[in-house]
Amino acid sequence: MRRSTRGVREPWVWTTWVVLLCSLTWTRLDAASIEGQVTLPKARSVVVMNQRYEMVVKGGVIAPNPPLAIVYLEGNFPLAEGTRTERMVQTNFTFVPGLLPVRVGSRVEFPNLDTGYHNIFSYSPAKRFDLGRYRSEERPIPSQVFDRAGLVTLRCDIHEHMRAAILVLETPHYVMTDFEGRFRMTNLPTGGYKLKAWVSSKTTFEVPVDLATNQTLQVNLP
Amino acid sequence: MSHDAAPEAGAFRVRLMLAMMVSVVLVASVTLYFAQRHLTVTVERGEAQRFKGMLDGLRSSQELRHAILMEFCRMLSRRPRIHAALEDDALDLLYPAAGDELQSLMSMGLRDTSDQALHGLFYRFIDERGRIIPPPGSVDAGGVSVEEMEQLKLPGLPVRPQVGYVFRGRGEEIRGVIEVMITPILSMETQEPIAGLVVGFDHAEGIRTPVDADILSGVWLGGRIYFPGLPVNTQRELAHGLCGQLGQPSDVGRKVELAGVPYLMLHTPLNTGPGFPPACEIRLSSLKELEERQANVRLRILGLAGLVLCCGLVGSHVVSTRLSRPVEQLALDLEQDRTRRVSAEAALELSNEGLQRSIRFSADASHQLKTPVTVLRAGLEELLVEKTLTSEVREEIGDLIHQTYRLSNVIDDLLLLSRVDSGRLTLRLGSVDFTRLLETALDDLGALPASEDLEVDVSLERGLRITGEARYVGIVVQNLFENARKYNVRGGFIGVIALEEGGWAVLRVRNSGRPIPLEFQAHIFERFNRGANGEEVPGHGLGLNLARELARLQGGQLRLVGSDTKGTEFEARFPLDRSGRDEGDCEG
Repeated sequence: MRRSTRGVREPWVWTTWVVLLCSLTWTRLDAASIEGQVTLPKARSVVVMNQRYEMVVKGGVIAPNPPLAIVYLEGNFPLAEGTRTERMVQTNFTFVPGLLPVRVGSRVEFPNLDTGYHNIFSYSPAKRFDLGRYRSEERPIPSQVFDRAGLVTLRCDIHEHMRAAILVLETPHYVMTDFEGRFRMTNLPTGGYKLKAWVSSKTTFEVPVDLATNQTLQVNLP
Repeated sequence: MSHDAAPEAGAFRVRLMLAMMVSVVLVASVTLYFAQRHLTVTVERGEAQRFKGMLDGLRSSQELRHAILMEFCRMLSRRPRIHAALEDDALDLLYPAAGDELQSLMSMGLRDTSDQALHGLFYRFIDERGRIIPPPGSVDAGGVSVEEMEQLKLPGLPVRPQVGYVFRGRGEEIRGVIEVMITPILSMETQEPIAGLVVGFDHAEGIRTPVDADILSGVWLGGRIYFPGLPVNTQRELAHGLCGQLGQPSDVGRKVELAGVPYLMLHTPLNTGPGFPPACEIRLSSLKELEERQANVRLRILGLAGLVLCCGLVGSHVVSTRLSRPVEQLALDLEQDRTRRVSAEAALELSNEGLQRSIRFSADASHQLKTPVTVLRAGLEELLVEKTLTSEVREEIGDLIHQTYRLSNVIDDLLLLSRVDSGRLTLRLGSVDFTRLLETALDDLGALPASEDLEVDVSLERGLRITGEARYVGIVVQNLFENARKYNVRGGFIGVIALEEGGWAVLRVRNSGRPIPLEFQAHIFERFNRGANGEEVPGHGLGLNLARELARLQGGQLRLVGSDTKGTEFEARFPLDRSGRDEGDCEG
């Protein structure tokens, strides 16, 4: 089911810019960059620009549709200072965004923008919770702190079609590709790391990278 | 002879009564047989329809129950928590995720007995290979043994909801039937089965029938049978008898007898899905009460038949007696008639013999007398030749000779009559000129001495011709003319009229004289009857009788027209001859 994205574009763009600005704060003068493209699986339907994506499960594998990837740099990074707050809203009986990468320790708020009840829960090993039934007037906005890395699948107990995923990462360096799989990561620390691309719950591409100062590395995954 | 008619009439009455009794028995038997048969068929058909209607109602309620339960299971299978537990590798939360719904299903019926048909015995989840996902110890998912579940022999996950049946109990001991509903849990996106929900129900609740229905229900499964209302041996007998006969559902009840009790049986396949042991639901309706009622009705019909038979027999007796009464009377009359006829025949035979004897005597006497008379006359005529005789003697001899002539005429008449009576008179009929014959006879009449004083008035139609023999017609005419002369008075008259009248030649002869008394008129034509004037007139009483016999022999008639102070009139009729030819001996 496709819904109008006119009302949700602004939060999504806003969130993207927040992520980019956050990345810029880590930018150092000797930072490196990685750009490239992830080979995405074929979409189930025709890709439309600005189309929001949903999480679908097939054969026990959860993946975004249309396909999308989260590219992140895995390494030994210091723990985050403070708690970042992300937001995943329920509007038009859909999670927006459907796929959300967060760093370990982040809090994600789940505001209900619909007129009816929602009941968000997760049985994922990375985070099991049940927010119970609540409406849009619910204050404070129900939220959860994700303190363990892994994929957390979200569902609504009332609306069986609602599905979303939060990928909890231990690294602060992650970025979402566009619908063609292109990505660009900047302000990366130098050194040897693993560059990973999460495509679905069963598929994660990785490649070791050695980042040098002021280097822009071209990496295609896989 | 009337003693023979009574037994025959009695036998007829008995035969009639027997025939009517047999008819009554046959009609009553056939009618009652078909009535009883029709009644039996109608009652059995009505019972079968009642049974089938009841089962249709039960089947409908069972289908409704299945639909409710399947919809319930389908809704459960779509629960996001169940999908989450299965897809997110959280099987420890699978049974708790089934939540309150399955728990309420398990406890349903405890509060309200009317809901026991929806009461679940257990529930289990199975993975994509059909293996049971065991429930955690903390969750009460109901009890079901491995042996019971193995009876399902699930080859894998069904793509559609299906119903299977297993026996409860161990080994040969069957304690009940579990109705197992398997609902696939389908992927939201691909609609492929990812797991299955198995819920077991007590089938006894599903097949429970109304208390007053008098219907036994059971399940046949893989050659074994569970029939809670029947003894074990009877169940085995039924299972053995049903082998190979449960392929198709039977809409028509079949009669079976179990342990001496007749039942009407209907069976319906319970599941047709692949991979499940075939199960069949069997319903038995006892016909014992029905047969008792039928026997009662049959007894009443037999009683009625006996009553009808008795009434029929009595009626047959009465009717046959009434019907045979006129027949008996008829037989009696017939017998009396026969007796009278035999008596008459005997009398006739006697009279005929007397007549024959008389005829023979007349003929013999005539023949025997004729010769002596002729000899006597010849002797007298020779004496008359003698010259020595005196005139007085001559006159005496002359009278004697005249008497011999009279005697000869009598003898001739007797001889002719005897020939007429014996039927030996042969007539040679021909055409006779009746007018001429009459003229000749009138001439002869005029020649007689006594005729001189009589006035004769003659009116003859010319050319009258009749059929007859002239000799015997002449005798008739002469007799009539002779009588008219003899029985007349001096100076009287004789009227002779001959004319044609309606195909007849009619001769009327009328004379004056003393009238014939009325009492003598009826006997005027009898032999030797000479009437009231006979003593004064010469004659022998044979003439009129002979004349009438001869007229009849020639097809004519002779009758006395009347006799009074004005005169006596006779009429003779002869058939006219229209051929116009002359008869040779008509002159004779």
